[in-house]
Amino acid sequence: MIYLDNGATSFHKPPGVYRAVSRALQRCANPGRGGYPSAMEAAETVFGCREAAAELFGCQPEQVVLTSNCTHALNIAIRTLVKGGERVVISGFEHNAVTRPLYALKANVTVAGRKLFDWDNMLTEFEKALRSGAKAAVFTHVSNVFGYLLPVEEMAALCRYYRVPFVIDAAQSAGVLPVHLERLSADFIAMPGHKGLLGPQGTGILLCGREPDPLICGGTGSASDQQEMPGFLPDRAEAGTLNVPGIAGLGEGLRYLRRVGIKNVFQREHKAAILCAQELERMGFRVFSGEHQVATVSFLPNIDCEEAAQKLAKQGIAVRAGLHCAPLAHESAGTLNTGTVRASFGHDADVQQVEAFCRAAAII
Amino acid sequence: MKNYLFTFRSVTYAQKGERLLKRLGIDCFIRRTPRTLTNKECSYCLQIRSWDFQRALAQLQTAQVQFGKVYGMDYDGEFEEMKV
Repeated sequence: MIYLDNGATSFHKPPGVYRAVSRALQRCANPGRGGYPSAMEAAETVFGCREAAAELFGCQPEQVVLTSNCTHALNIAIRTLVKGGERVVISGFEHNAVTRPLYALKANVTVAGRKLFDWDNMLTEFEKALRSGAKAAVFTHVSNVFGYLLPVEEMAALCRYYRVPFVIDAAQSAGVLPVHLERLSADFIAMPGHKGLLGPQGTGILLCGREPDPLICGGTGSASDQQEMPGFLPDRAEAGTLNVPGIAGLGEGLRYLRRVGIKNVFQREHKAAILCAQELERMGFRVFSGEHQVATVSFLPNIDCEEAAQKLAKQGIAVRAGLHCAPLAHESAGTLNTGTVRASFGHDADVQQVEAFCRAAAII
Repeated sequence: MKNYLFTFRSVTYAQKGERLLKRLGIDCFIRRTPRTLTNKECSYCLQIRSWDFQRALAQLQTAQVQFGKVYGMDYDGEFEEMKV
């Protein structure tokens, strides 16, 4: 199988990740509860993951809250900043993991910046929206549908200037592009463990620039005599038993990225995406590509997009079709009615994958 | 005193302290804080040998690793809170 659905999850993990998960299952008890060797080995495994994340993302280990996925992380962040009915600014390319919590909170959402690959539009609209006052801003680093890389550093600077707390959704950028909590001065940055960070499903990270409100209350192995959730990180946002085998794998994924270098990962993925976009355009497909694009290419096949994906699957090509849990992004790009077929490259991207994909695409 | 115990509010902070001290060549290990010292809390502590105490204290304070109460443990296993 040629796997091009890394936007959903990375499928081919580094071998060390499988070993780390297996080892944790065999050796790790519950961290932060007991004091016997396998409990301490579990604690060491978890802390090792926090340390690796802290080093990569520019923060302290205790600022690394471990979650079950990026959606979980985003919910913690959004529900800390937004309580109900307040004005929130988002970009035109957000995932349902951002828009659905805001909808549930009945937030007054302003969508700013709807033109694909257009930084001028994004920054002009975003600033205009912030100037009118907002309780919070939430924006993605890279669109999961189109690979559109947003100008997050500039957007973060605008948020700081207008004193609007903000959350960055790094679901598609963590492990591929620089993401630095301190440099961005973000309130929160959310990411999955199972995409670019190459960990197992069931893992995620919330980088906390400020204290979050607990989304779930329960046992933390600390301040046990108090009924309030602890007032310190990471415990305040980590109730219940952690997914230790998953975190073991995530830690190994992070260490792999440190060894390989995320710049190298980016270059591989970017090169494959550009080549793929060019080839699809040459074949006559409507392709969504532009200057600020990372690792993901969406295009319109000449047939129903789900049928196209099915035909590609029969030829051993794994892609995702439809709305990609991001109807807002499709609405912005004008593809809400058709959906698109999306090829998203991963850390193992190469020219052979692109060639195989394009050969298969020619048939549809 | 034979040993000293630095208490921490969670295992994460104890681990942060442990990492720091071990990097500096100060031997220590994480253990559960004795119940008699915790006043119903559950916590972890770093156990340090007496001759490393002052250096460990200075390093933890300089690096701003947050710790709670500090106890000395004598050879009979009795604890005494240290004013730091």
